[in-house]
Amino acid sequence: MANDLKTFQPKEYYRKFLEKDVRPDGRELGECRSTVVNIGSITTAEGSALVKLGNTTVICGIKAELANPKADEPKNGYIVPNVELSPMCSAQFRPGAPGEQAQVLSQFVVDVLQNSECVNLQDLCIVSGKLVWMLQCDMICLDYDGNVADACVLSLVSALKNTCLPKVTVNEETQAIETDDKITNNLKVQTTPVSTTFAIFDDHFVIVDPTIEEETLATGIITIVTKEKKLCMVHKPGGTPLKDSQIQLCIDRAIERSGQATKLIDETQCSLDR
Amino acid sequence: MEVDRTSHELRPMTCELGHLSRSDGSATLTQGDTTVITSMYGPGDVRISKEIIDKATVEVTYRPKIGLPKCSDKLKERLIRNTCETVILSGLHPRTGIDIILQEMQNSGSFLSCCINSACLALLDASIPLKYLIAAVTCCISDKGEITLDPDLKQEKKSVAILTFVFDSKDFNVVTVSTSGSFSNEQFQSCLMACREASKHVITFYRESMLKKLSKSV
Amino acid sequence: MRETPLSTCERDFILSVIADRKRIDGRQTYDYRKIKIVFGIDRGCCSVELGKTRVLAQVSCEVTEPKQTRPTDGILFMNVELSPMACPSFESGRLSDEGVELNRLLERCIKESRCLDTESLCIVAGQKVWTIRIDIHVLNQEGNILDCASIAAITALVHFRRPDVTVSGEDVTIHELDDRDPVPLSVHHMPICVSFAFFDQGKFLLVDPENGEEKVMDGKMVIGMNKHREICTLQITGDMLLLKEQVLRCSNIAVVKVQEISELIQTALENDKTARSEGRKYGFAESIEREQITTHHTDITNVDMEDITKTNHETMDEEENQEQENSEENKVTILEKGTGIVGEGGRNSWLMSDDDEDVKIEPSIPNKSKKHKQKEKKEAYSFGDDSEEEETVVLDESDLHMIKKVPGSSDSVDLQSLKPSKSTPGKKKKKR
Repeated sequence: MANDLKTFQPKEYYRKFLEKDVRPDGRELGECRSTVVNIGSITTAEGSALVKLGNTTVICGIKAELANPKADEPKNGYIVPNVELSPMCSAQFRPGAPGEQAQVLSQFVVDVLQNSECVNLQDLCIVSGKLVWMLQCDMICLDYDGNVADACVLSLVSALKNTCLPKVTVNEETQAIETDDKITNNLKVQTTPVSTTFAIFDDHFVIVDPTIEEETLATGIITIVTKEKKLCMVHKPGGTPLKDSQIQLCIDRAIERSGQATKLIDETQCSLDR
Repeated sequence: MEVDRTSHELRPMTCELGHLSRSDGSATLTQGDTTVITSMYGPGDVRISKEIIDKATVEVTYRPKIGLPKCSDKLKERLIRNTCETVILSGLHPRTGIDIILQEMQNSGSFLSCCINSACLALLDASIPLKYLIAAVTCCISDKGEITLDPDLKQEKKSVAILTFVFDSKDFNVVTVSTSGSFSNEQFQSCLMACREASKHVITFYRESMLKKLSKSV
Repeated sequence: MRETPLSTCERDFILSVIADRKRIDGRQTYDYRKIKIVFGIDRGCCSVELGKTRVLAQVSCEVTEPKQTRPTDGILFMNVELSPMACPSFESGRLSDEGVELNRLLERCIKESRCLDTESLCIVAGQKVWTIRIDIHVLNQEGNILDCASIAAITALVHFRRPDVTVSGEDVTIHELDDRDPVPLSVHHMPICVSFAFFDQGKFLLVDPENGEEKVMDGKMVIGMNKHREICTLQITGDMLLLKEQVLRCSNIAVVKVQEISELIQTALENDKTARSEGRKYGFAESIEREQITTHHTDITNVDMEDITKTNHETMDEEENQEQENSEENKVTILEKGTGIVGEGGRNSWLMSDDDEDVKIEPSIPNKSKKHKQKEKKEAYSFGDDSEEEETVVLDESDLHMIKKVPGSSDSVDLQSLKPSKSTPGKKKKKR
């Protein structure tokens, strides 16, 4: 009976739950799914992290390459994030060139990195004007169950904290590049940006961390990225208009979530070092 | 080129409606020196793969002036498309397509809000049924914490954060937010309120333009 | 979107008008439509209107490496975009045949006629040269895009200023626009394309065909010429045969037209130059005519900010400190070296030693059965967990070769008896 209602009138089905302040999977409106973080599992990459937000899974791998800096920015390295949504994670994606959703997510992650100044690009400089590090960050979604943006950001930040770059010296006489794999430096990550996505349902319910069914039924979404109590990005691409008080509630919840996520990353990182 | 103005003033706005002969609706909007030309076609036919049975399919194309479109342009298109989808009463035109095309002519600051405002004007020019009007305002926060409305390119470069808000004309609630840079919660709230006040002037501008255009019947 | 096709009666009407040696819009056979040239604030940006056809051109520059075959020459790159704005049938993305033809004609006219001195674009031979890029966007299609685009392209090139460069040995300094005045490009001559439409098997011609005339014409001739009477490009297309007298007559007409258009461009450039030097306003905003019914203008508007500071304080006071409540929620559980978990909300198909998880798995099955193999494996994974909550198995090298590859079956009952490690060989070793 419940399944019939869910198939034919999904909005009604959800409405019945939301009126009682609960969601079909048992969560409260303001509760996030259980988050699991696994750091450093890819040994061939300089840094890696796997994040599971409920069923949504994103794995991030960071490879470091040497490159020439741009002519007008001789001391800046590059961080190139790239999100891949393959047919493996959901039937809605087709193989081939990145679709719109993948491009939008990649741009979102680029913006988060820029706005939060998470890694100082000058830390990636080896020889000013000639040699800099280029970090290729590939985020591959393994399971698309809603709220992939948050999982991508979390995995990227965890992977960056786990990144170790080998020491590189340029021989003055021969101009040859020498890499010393034994001496590694941890990448300095200045802040931990955490993103929280809320879905707006039926013009007045605001639920945090939507699953894929909630995302498709939602009438709008809002994503808030915070770094240690400061806001670094508020992104609401259209959708139902929100009142100021609702936005304020979202911001408060996002700040709480950011504390929770930062603690998770830090403690997991510590357990790895021990 | 920019006239000196204080931090709580909007730059002079000029619009021209219906000047492209092939489009169903077109608008050129200038805010100060920032110029965007928007044209829209619709409701018209749409490819079967993109057809929705109970609504119109809204598609937005944004073209920058220099070079080929990049990832950041795709994000802009997504933002504008979601905003327009909220406004358009797409249920009245099922199985049709509404195409909105924006062309950058000049970027002198507050570019995203100029794009969204010109899109709204183009929709009005084409007489597409809308739920309410939308007005976008950009503001920036300097490193000293001062808020400047409708900044030009120099002010944007010196700022710490740039925020764009889009409000609806009925209750003046927030439809779209897009920010860059970092800021505190209090700064966010004050920017929100300042932009809300400013958006009322933008709505008045729309009304006056349409009144002028429809004042004589052919 | 599809374009409305030209109906047979419209086609017959246009042809009959032309047979009477007249034109629909009342022009003479050799008349051009009204040309309007407007410059933007940026250098190298201009918008040209030829009647109702509208084209925007923008020139930009970049420092790049030169081509291997020509180490001392700069690069000129042209890109014509038929924007979907111009005509409903233009698609964004792949260029149609018409677009490719347009691109090629403009390239021949401007690039191959050597109107721009590419050697002057060299900075350090073999290493650094300027790449000049011209982007042309067609905004409205009402016939004869080619002429409009060529006028826009050459005007933008002459209008453009590139940053000044000083080379001292190996160091190259590119000066900012504020430091030193930018330098114009060295343009030798201004080639402009003139289009002719032919009817009656090449016997009757019209200059500057508009949209309807373009659709019914038999053939087209394009002559690219500069004001020194030099032909830069010539192309004849279509279903007709031309007499040589026709071609010569057209080139004579083209001479006159190019002179007129060149003078117009010069006047426009002069006006823009004086406006900039005198400090008067210029740009697209100024060019919009204010006295029309379809335009509207407001000056600087003041925004009332007094109420804002009051209401802001009120909303801030309402916030309360909720930090104490979250200590339970924020508890991080370290499962293993390098893996941590926080929060308990919602279902999670990973192996957690929580009894509550089993209850939540039930309603999720109908959804999961629709999804592909990988998900089903995970479902089987969690089922298998029922019996083995405590035990965590870590695979060794010796175990790997004993594992049979189990195809992802939808029958979860069989897999229940298997140990979870064997259903996913090798992959999720430490991730429990």
